Formats: sequence, C-alpha cells, structure tokens
Amino acid sequence: MKIAYSHLSQYIEENPTIEQISDSLFQLGHEHEINSDIFDMEFTPNRGDCLSLNGLLRDLAVFYTVDFNQEIYTEKLNELQLDFENLSESTCPKISFLKLEIENIPEIYKGSLDNYFKDLSLNKNNLFTDVSNYLSYETGQPTHCYDASTMSGKLLFHEIDKNEEFETLLDKKITLSGKNSVFSLNDNIINLAGIVGGKSTSCSTNTKTVIVECAFFQPEAIIGKSVKYDIQSEASHKFERGVDPDCHDRVLRRFIKLVSEHANIKDMSIISYKSKDNPITQMPVNVGKINQIIGINISEKEYLSYLLKLGFIVEEGLIEVPSFRSDVKTQNDLAEEVARVIGYDNIATLEISIPKKEKTNHKAIENKLRFFLLDHGFYEVINSPFVSLSSEEAIKVDNPLDSNREFLRTNITNSLVDNLLFNERRQKDSIKLFEISDVYLSSNGINKKRKLSVVASGRVGLNYEDFSKKINKKYLTALFQEILPNEVFDFEILSRDLLDTKIKNEIVTLEVDIDRFSTNILSFKEISKSPESFAQYSPISDLPSSFKDISYSIKDYSKTQELQDLLLNYQSDIIKNVYIFDYFKNEKQEEIKIGFRFIFQSKKATLNSAEIELVYNDIVTKSLSISGISIPGI
Amino acid sequence: MPDHKDITPPELTKDRGSLHPINHMKDSIMSLLVSFGFEIVDGPEIETEEFNFDMLNIKKSHPARQMHDTFYVENKSNLLRTHTSPVQIRGMLEKKPPLAFISGGKVYRKDDDATHLPMFHQVEGIYVDENVSFAQLKDLIYKIIYSLFGEDVELRFRPSYFPFTEPSAEVDILSKEGKWLEILGCGLVNPVVLENCNIDSNKYSGLAFGLGVERIAMLKHGVTDIREFYKSNLDFLSQFK
Repeated sequence: MKIAYSHLSQYIEENPTIEQISDSLFQLGHEHEINSDIFDMEFTPNRGDCLSLNGLLRDLAVFYTVDFNQEIYTEKLNELQLDFENLSESTCPKISFLKLEIENIPEIYKGSLDNYFKDLSLNKNNLFTDVSNYLSYETGQPTHCYDASTMSGKLLFHEIDKNEEFETLLDKKITLSGKNSVFSLNDNIINLAGIVGGKSTSCSTNTKTVIVECAFFQPEAIIGKSVKYDIQSEASHKFERGVDPDCHDRVLRRFIKLVSEHANIKDMSIISYKSKDNPITQMPVNVGKINQIIGINISEKEYLSYLLKLGFIVEEGLIEVPSFRSDVKTQNDLAEEVARVIGYDNIATLEISIPKKEKTNHKAIENKLRFFLLDHGFYEVINSPFVSLSSEEAIKVDNPLDSNREFLRTNITNSLVDNLLFNERRQKDSIKLFEISDVYLSSNGINKKRKLSVVASGRVGLNYEDFSKKINKKYLTALFQEILPNEVFDFEILSRDLLDTKIKNEIVTLEVDIDRFSTNILSFKEISKSPESFAQYSPISDLPSSFKDISYSIKDYSKTQELQDLLLNYQSDIIKNVYIFDYFKNEKQEEIKIGFRFIFQSKKATLNSAEIELVYNDIVTKSLSISGISIPGI
Repeated sequence: MPDHKDITPPELTKDRGSLHPINHMKDSIMSLLVSFGFEIVDGPEIETEEFNFDMLNIKKSHPARQMHDTFYVENKSNLLRTHTSPVQIRGMLEKKPPLAFISGGKVYRKDDDATHLPMFHQVEGIYVDENVSFAQLKDLIYKIIYSLFGEDVELRFRPSYFPFTEPSAEVDILSKEGKWLEILGCGLVNPVVLENCNIDSNKYSGLAFGLGVERIAMLKHGVTDIREFYKSNLDFLSQFK
C-alpha cells in the first residue's frame, strides 16, 4: 500500500523527516520502501488495521503527537428508508447505508481529496467513487457506491452456492462458482460482497444520487475470492485482514463532509443494521507477565503509557483492546506491543542455557553410507518428488503445478537416471550418483519408505588406474561387499533402449530400503569428511566441452615429476580439468609412457578448434622443452 | 642413465564425491544446534491439516491454507508439509517440558519461479521451559548467527507475524554490499500452541525459530540462483568437496 509522506506528516506536530518516520515504521514492524516521498508499505497479515493513513498514524502516535484533525458531519441524520434484507448476518453482522443527493457535480477537487489523487498519481473516476476510494485510504474502511437511480427494488445480502454470471464495474465478466456472498437486486447480482461491485449499478460521472454501503464482512467469507476470480481488489485485501467493525458512523459522516466540501447536498439519510455487538476484548493489567515474556523490567506506569498511546483503554485494572485491533487477544499480544515500542533491537539479551542432552548419533547408518559412497566418487543429489508418471501406488497431487508434476515419485532411481543423462549430455564420462530420500506410496493408506538409490555409468574413475575400467555390476557388487560382506544387493542393468542417448555404457542401478543396512556398517572407516568450510562457488559453463589427450614417452625418469608439475598446473582460461589417464613403466624398453587428458571449455562462448589448438600447441612446446621427453608421433 | 629404482608412479588421485551442499548446510546447522542442547526429531513430509495448520494456530481462513499455496494430496485428505513445525507439535505431544527439539528437512509450497522452488529445506527449533523470554530468544539467535556468519556480522530484529509465535520477529544480517538480508524467523511460542499440545502455558513458555537452508547456503557459498542446487550438474556439485 502506498502512503504519501506529506499525508502522514500533516497530522504530526513534531514534523519529523521522512527518514525519522521511516525508522519509526521499521521499529514498529512495518516494512516499506520509499520512492519519491511515497512509502510503499508491506504489512504483516495480522495488521489489517494499518492499511490506511489513520492506521499508520495510530501506530506512530506512540512516538509522536498526532492530531487527526479530520472533520466529520456532526448534525443529526434522517433515517434512510431502504428495502433491504440481510439473509447472512453471520457473514455480515454490521452494515450501514447512506443515501446522498447532490445538486451539482464538481469540476475540481480540493483539500485532502485533491492531494490524494495528485500526490499518489491516481486516476479519478467520479465524485462518489473517488470519495469512497479516498476514505478507504484515509480510514481503512472500504465503502461501495451504488448509483441510486439504478437501485429500485429489494436489496438482498445473501450467500449463493451455484454458478452465476456477473459483470464487474471494471467490465470483466466472471462466472461465480461455489459459495459466494453477494448483494442482489430483484434477483440480479449487483455486488460480489467485499470484492468488487457490479457494472449495472455502478456510479458514473453523471451520478447525483448515491447509496453508499459500509459493511463489516467476516474475513473467512472474503479470503481467496480475489485470487479465484483474478480481480485486483484493495477492498478485499482489507476485508481479508479485518476492518474495524465499529467505524461505520464515523466513516459515513466523513463521507458526507468530504462531499459537502465539493458539492451542495440536497438530501441525505442513513440507516445501520447490526445483528450483534462486536465482542470487547479485555485483559488484566499484569506488567509482571509482560516483563517475564519479554525479559525486561519496566514499570507499570511505563507499560500502560505505551498502550494508551496505541489507543488501548485502561480502566480499573483492565486493558480494553480497541475495536480496530482484532489481532490483540492475549498477554503475549500485549507483550509484542510493548516490545515493538521499545524496539526489538533495544531489548538486552539474557543468557540462555539449554540443558545438554546425552549425545545420540542421529541417522548414523545413513551418514556412514553417504561417506562410504563419497569415498568411491559418488555425488549426493537431491531431486524433486513431483513426476508425471503414474503407477498404482503413486500418490496424486490434487493441485499440481502442471501436468508433468501430478504425482509423487514411487522410486528415486528414475530421477537419478535423468540426472545421469543430463550429465552425459555435458560430456561427463564417469558418473556416480546417489540419493537418500523418503518415498511415499499409496497402499492401504499412505506409507513411507526411506530409500537409498545409486546410479552409475561410464569409467570407474578419472585416474590412470581406473580410466579404462568400466562401471558394471561386478564393480558395484564388490564395492558394497566392502561394508557388508555377507549381503547381496540386487544391482540392475538399465536398458538404454528407451533412453534418448547414443552412449552405450552400462547403467547400473540399485534402490534399496535403508532398513536393509544394519549397524554392522558403522565399523567401516571412511576417508571422506564433511567439508570444514563452505567453498565459494564459481559459476559453471553450460557450453560444450571437448578434450585432447597427449601421450609422452619419458626416457629420463627424473623428468617425470617436472612434466607433471608443468601440465597439472598449466593455467589457461579454457582448460577446465587435466588429469593423468594413462601410466605405464616399460622395464624392458626403459621407458615411461604417461598420458594426460585436457578438458577444454569456455565460460564465454563455444570453443573453436583454432582456440583449442593454440593452447594445445603451447602445452606441447613447453613440455617438449623438458629434456628426455618426447611425444610419439610428433 | 635413468635411475630405474628411484622412480615413483604419479600420485593416484582417487576421485571423491561430495555431499549435496544443501544437505551439508542442513547438517551443519543441525550439528550446531545439537551442540547448544537441542535434540533432533523427525517427522513425515506428508502431513494432516491438523498438524500442519490447526495445532499451530493457523486458522481455516489463513491464506497459506488455500490451494494456491499448499499442495494437497489424495483428495485433500493430506498435504505436503509447508514447514517443519508439525514435527515439533508431534514432539511436544510426546514429551513433557523442559524440551528442546530441532527438526530439519524438505518442505513444500506451491511456488515455482526464479527465487522460489516448490520444494526447499528448513531447520526449525523449539525450546519450552519455565520463564523462557524474548531476551533469551535473542541470545540464542545471536549465538546461531555468529556461529554461521562470524561475530563481526551486523544483525537486526524486526517485528513480524507468524500465527504460532507471539511476539514474532524476523532477523536480517547486513551483507557486504550493505543490504539487509532476511535470515530467519523466530518468536515466543504462542500460548495457544502450547495449550494445543497439552502444555500448561501459565507455567511454561517457549521459543521457536526457523531457518531456510537454501537461503543460508546461497549466502555461504555465493550461489545466486537457487535452481542450481537441484540440477544435479556434476560441474556444480564437485565444487563443494
């Protein structure tokens, strides 16, 4: 909600700067941004009372002297004769109507009304709608204006529960469905209560007689409707958060006053309907409780002074909550009021000491498995559980994000296979992934299983011992026998026939309940550890990569280390990785053969062969400058 | 002549994998909290409305309960938990004060854009004892934030609103670029919630807090796009060893 600094400051005697008001608002918990002397406010959902100029001023009054100085019409008003019936008093326990007839339609606005439109750069509609909009801004109470010339017949407030067409005053046609609270005139819906009025009875620039409706609707009847019908409605935003049920008389008298400042009023009358009184919330004055909740030590006098400034009434040891503060019900709520006024950051800390528990090894088996897999080059992944595939056991999401995410997965492996293909498309030739997750199944109710899934394919590793070995069932079976020698796991080979890939490497998978693993694995001594620090991420490239291998012949063994130092530490923007993929010592030939693989990838653009050749040639030149080293074929 | 005997093969670099950075961050936060005296409790990701909303004083009319914010499953009989708080409800129903629980894990909300994912991770904690105060909550939050971001970090508490805490606060830290970044939400447990869990709110009070794991991991690792965490790209994952 946008509120102009000048509109606030005109009522504050101390004339604070915009920065001072901004600081005060932050302390009170009202987040905002400032653009061109306009506060763009974001209120928490419990503070519907602040969704107005006066609402903010009421809160600021705890820090400043606020003089509201907003005149209202104070004379006695005639009773309006209106053919109205409220068939849903539980939804709308209070409602008032004001009928006004004016002689002339003003061409220009003045005073607060004029400032509102100018300072907030708003478009005008017609006098009555404009006054209504301004009053909503000033008081927080939405009102709705009907052109009285369209209002002959019986007006009904009621609930409907059927599909009905409705055209809003914004020319939008919607189909009402499910339960809705509406106003009807002669069986035609003329207003979707608390959300938006109808076109057929809306005011125009020619309207001279208006019926102003001022109501309290239960938030439950309004919530979700503006989203459901895709209607931007400031009124519904306020009704959803709760408005002051006791403000109708003052708001309508202010309406009269504002109209009278712009036009001659010929006739006016008012009527109010009330099915029950607004319950008054009272609590005993208990500063000890407040001090205990916050952890401070203020006097009762100081405590009550804060509440009085915020509009609370204190009489005979009782605190009465004002009608506009429906969010305050308990001593904890009162404590929050005090804490806000003191300032959360001004409340001194009190040392906390939580009794220490006996240490338990939470998820010890899972963690042992994780580090075991890390030791063997597996990467942990986390996948979303939403999938498109259904199975008998799949749990259906009633309101999915889209049709591709209608079900919860019944296995983890499919997600990991997708991850594997994703990485294969990025030229990865050694892929080992695992995920441990809950999987939910629908069979005789909802059943949870905690599972480990492992998927691997390609080279066993990117070093000269493992490079030429391919991942297969035998490799993974041997691996798991390290930690559970007496268990046999059902590794599966996944057919690539249905996968969108030309790569032929076997895909080996395993999905197993965590319960399968016993505490026997806890004796396994892992090498991997949790990182002690948090690595700074370097943005990755999604551009294609390519590789070049260089195989060296070394006759002078003493040069081997020099060559490694040169190549493994070779610096280039386009080299992503380098490793030794081959090493062989030929005793008979007195020769070492060593192969290096260079992975090229740029973060800026796809590399062309010339760019790669340039770096490649430099590597070759520098390495061949080491005596006793040659590259067969060059 | 080459010395045949002295040559040692090149170091055999065994590739090690890495923990997922979100799980690592979650585990780190939980280890820290365990060191403060909290006990870890687990709960289901598929929850009832009663535990996810009602017991936490989230009224039927609260916007979070709408179909556009919460994933419902199996003809609205259950839902995907929108926070880890229901785990604490289960914990409070099972044990008597004094109690100090943390729970961490996946939570779900119906969001999917550049800054929000339908699945993300939370760690939440609750401590219930006699005379637990907001000033003590502040002390605990300072300890958590200082442990995570260092003692030179500047932080501020802002009044906020959660149905299950009162008073409620959000805590921001000041980034190196001079921007305040929201880090966690916290507050004193609403007495209504204690009573819902059969805990005498006249005798006991509690504090609660919750952190978004992705947000903290992004700050700690310098990751700017939350979606990177869930692409399972080995070039990304291999940076977090």
